[in-house]
Amino acid sequence: MKAFLKTLFGDAGTVTVVALVMIAETALTAIGQAGLGAFLIPIAVLAGVARLATR
Amino acid sequence: MLDWTVVTAAFLTAAVEWVEAFTIVLAVSLSIGWRAAGGAALAALAVLAVMTVATGGVLNLGLEVRWLQLAIGVFLLLFGVRWLAKAVARGAGMKAMHDEAEIFAETRAELSRGDRSASWLIAFKGVLLEGLEVWLIVAAFGLHGRAWISSGAGAAAALVVVLAAGLAVRAPLTRVPENAIKFVVGVMITAFGTYWTFEAVAGERAWPFGDLSLLALAAFYALGGLSLIALIRRTRPVGATA
Repeated sequence: MKAFLKTLFGDAGTVTVVALVMIAETALTAIGQAGLGAFLIPIAVLAGVARLATR
Repeated sequence: MLDWTVVTAAFLTAAVEWVEAFTIVLAVSLSIGWRAAGGAALAALAVLAVMTVATGGVLNLGLEVRWLQLAIGVFLLLFGVRWLAKAVARGAGMKAMHDEAEIFAETRAELSRGDRSASWLIAFKGVLLEGLEVWLIVAAFGLHGRAWISSGAGAAAALVVVLAAGLAVRAPLTRVPENAIKFVVGVMITAFGTYWTFEAVAGERAWPFGDLSLLALAAFYALGGLSLIALIRRTRPVGATA
């Protein structure tokens, strides 16, 4: 079961990165800055990739 | 009519996973023979085929596309950032370029502790878990423009190619340029995941250039990934681990 969940969701670091991206998407939309999100979200995702690659 | 973009994306993604699944089956076959190991792999593939057909049926029930995009987009991001990060770490010299030799050795060590039925289960579980990622990609790419046949055909073609190559050499397929494929697929999946999740959250006007934004996202992640590799190489000695 643990292996199944890890295959599906990845490790804690990956889940954290994607959760933070989703929170950012929701927050930017909620405050009416979705237009800004189109530029900020990809940068946030790439920052997450950098964090995961260097840990 | 096949959508060749989807076929190619599904083929590349599935090929990486099938190579890993084949490595596990190969290791098990040395313990319990090709027939039993192949049977376990076939049983796992049958489960995956049923899951794929069932998923296609569920998605064709007319559920609201926005929620499907969000759910599948999240999974694509989970896979995409993981793959891209791994490809960047390998490209920067922080990880070994291939998993196959390690997977092969680990599986052999695991087998030495178990009996015949445990060995069968190892092959079944290995193919099922690697295949789960293929199933998700087939579902995700299939959802895009309802390209089920293209998506499934890409994954099935990858299975045939990997199987043929694997049976020809009967050794772990370490010559497959796995990291390059992982990087390209990681870029594509991350671009799709970003696009779909944000469109699902913020609405259709989230992306200023519509579908063309997908290409911009892919280019951004590709250049960003390559820049990260160069940056990490400069700041960390090759072979260093965090």
